[in-house]
Amino acid sequence: MIQVSNLSKIYNGITVLNISDLNIKKGESFGLVGNNGAGKTTFFRLILDLIRASTGNILSNGEDVSKDETWKTFTGSYLDEAFLIDFLTPEEYFQFIGDINGLSKGDSDDFLNNFAEFFNNEIINKNKFIRDLSSGNQKKVGIAAALMTNPEILILDEPFNSLDPTTQIRLKNLLKKLQKEKNVTLLISSHDLNHVTEVCDRIVVLHEGDIAHDIHTNKDTLKELEKYFAV
Amino acid sequence: MIKWFIRHQIREMFRSTVWQKNLIINIIMGFFLLLIFVEALVGGIVLADKFHEIFPDDDPVKKFNSFLLYYFTFDLVLRYFMQKVPIMSVQPYLHLPVKRSSLINFVLSKSLMSFFNFLPLIFVIPMAFFQFADYYPISIVWVWIISIFLIALTNNFLIVYLKKQLVANPKVVGIFGLVLAFLVLFDYFNLISFSAFSTLIFGELLNHPLLILVPAFLLIFIYCINYFFLKSHLYPEEIKIRKDKKVDSISNIKYLKTLGKTGTLVALELKLWWRHKRTKTIIYMLPIFLLYGFFLYPQEKLSDGLGFFIFVGVFISGGMMLNYTNYAFSYESNYFDAILANNINIKEYLRVKLVIAIIISTFCFIVTIPYVFFGLKILIINFVTWLFCIGCLSFMLLFTATYNKKRMDLTKGAAFNYQGIGASNWLAMLPAFLLPIFIYLPFGLTDLPYTGILLIGLIGLLGLLFQRSLLNIVVKQFFKRKYMMAEGFRKK
Repeated sequence: MIQVSNLSKIYNGITVLNISDLNIKKGESFGLVGNNGAGKTTFFRLILDLIRASTGNILSNGEDVSKDETWKTFTGSYLDEAFLIDFLTPEEYFQFIGDINGLSKGDSDDFLNNFAEFFNNEIINKNKFIRDLSSGNQKKVGIAAALMTNPEILILDEPFNSLDPTTQIRLKNLLKKLQKEKNVTLLISSHDLNHVTEVCDRIVVLHEGDIAHDIHTNKDTLKELEKYFAV
Repeated sequence: MIKWFIRHQIREMFRSTVWQKNLIINIIMGFFLLLIFVEALVGGIVLADKFHEIFPDDDPVKKFNSFLLYYFTFDLVLRYFMQKVPIMSVQPYLHLPVKRSSLINFVLSKSLMSFFNFLPLIFVIPMAFFQFADYYPISIVWVWIISIFLIALTNNFLIVYLKKQLVANPKVVGIFGLVLAFLVLFDYFNLISFSAFSTLIFGELLNHPLLILVPAFLLIFIYCINYFFLKSHLYPEEIKIRKDKKVDSISNIKYLKTLGKTGTLVALELKLWWRHKRTKTIIYMLPIFLLYGFFLYPQEKLSDGLGFFIFVGVFISGGMMLNYTNYAFSYESNYFDAILANNINIKEYLRVKLVIAIIISTFCFIVTIPYVFFGLKILIINFVTWLFCIGCLSFMLLFTATYNKKRMDLTKGAAFNYQGIGASNWLAMLPAFLLPIFIYLPFGLTDLPYTGILLIGLIGLLGLLFQRSLLNIVVKQFFKRKYMMAEGFRKK
């Protein structure tokens, strides 16, 4: 589904990301871990064509993301607050995302109903702008919007961060369900090794822009990762 | 502790991003401020020197005193719109062992640095020495000067209080404004007289210098009100200017919903403009662009120079459009990544921006059609400059807007706010105003003025005809620049 070749990103002579070859298959759940500055967000931004690669390219469903825009129709993403339009209410924002993706009013309403549990009564009909929501609730809005179009690829940057425990568990179940039932390709980065090993079948460890490990998740993975990071 | 406050304030000032990034703009602004200051100073001295010649029939002391109350009323209104309320971010200090009283006193005394507090002195001091000193002993003249300064400071704290109340209890501000408006209205219809009252109180002050205690008392009084108000409202949630605002119903414009994706994008822009302070103040500035002609058209001297009218025409039809298009992308800097990562057709997105620009310009042109009252040629010129604006300028500005990669903070007002405005924006304004004049100039000089004017319109028309290809150029440019813009917008 996603093929990375010779990819690098260089800022002022410093290489922040360097992936010579990486292949993410359709329906795979791909976890990205690494310390701050390892290049996780940079990688996701490159996949979403938000920054220009210094070398190499990324093919999403066979098309170079920086040359062709079709990936936008099957990719859902939430990296940070810059993905939210903060002067809208959550309802307006969902409506906006629905409209630009050509969803009908009924589809949008169905979608919001499905998310009622995830929102936990804190998002809809609160008569608040997104900028006035707490960071956890903002994240819920962003994640929900990313899922709104039933994407084939879902990219989330530290989705568990700042969510409350209940929502964390709900999100984990939701992601697992999406992958199993709808064969969604998941790309998740996380600082929480527990969550990421639970959700992902494959975990890649980034270290200063390079792939340090590429692990197929098994029962020892968590220990292995903890050992790696406990330096 | 005060030492630390002052040190932090100075650092905040010099480390503010605006200060560091826009050195050239700061120098230009500083130069203009200095110029205004010198002009005011010279003006004040000349006025004081010639005052008895300007009003030969009146007693200069009485006449000048009669203006003072008007000045202070005007001062209040001006301050209300322009003066910034000092809110030192007290939050980081609240949990530290600092006395609340010293925090409050510091916050309040910071407001004393406002330019408005010193403005009256520029006029009053020369006046006192050139005119008043002829009639009164110098010590009494000083009492008069100091009293006026005290009243200016009272105004200062009154505004600080009112602006704080605007958050806590807007009714107070409303009532105050209403009372003031009625007083001004009564004065206008001669039911009461500001000028007579003003002459009376300031005259009495000169006769009984002890009356200086009145403004002094007023100042202390208003300071105390401020002090106690702040003391009881020093919780961060109450101090915050930005409160959860009620949601308006701007999203429910039915017509836009029938337009599909285009309507969705237009609705987004409308909400953006309506829900931010900075954009709102720009909307409030619209009358300036529209009424500009009233100041210039009646002037006899200018009526021969068509070139100047072309400039005015571009300003009227294009001024507001320029404000929109020049920053079309930086207004969206907060969520620019969302625009790029979502399933938005970029061509459609840019077309919407262009259409909005054209609508703004057209609105400005239609509203100002009554200027035909000043002559048919004004309508003709405004018509061709409008064509130029919508057919040519709109594309040019959208093209150059891609060079602006400064994040723009929309939560602060627009007046004298240069945050997020880069050199490229200033440069982009040049062709807007110079190009039509350059087109006209060779014809104007060779005595074919109307050919030149026609050509301006023709170029605009050509732009409209080749809309598609021009839009494609902008689209290409956008794709070329989008990474740079997105990267710049991410920098807070």
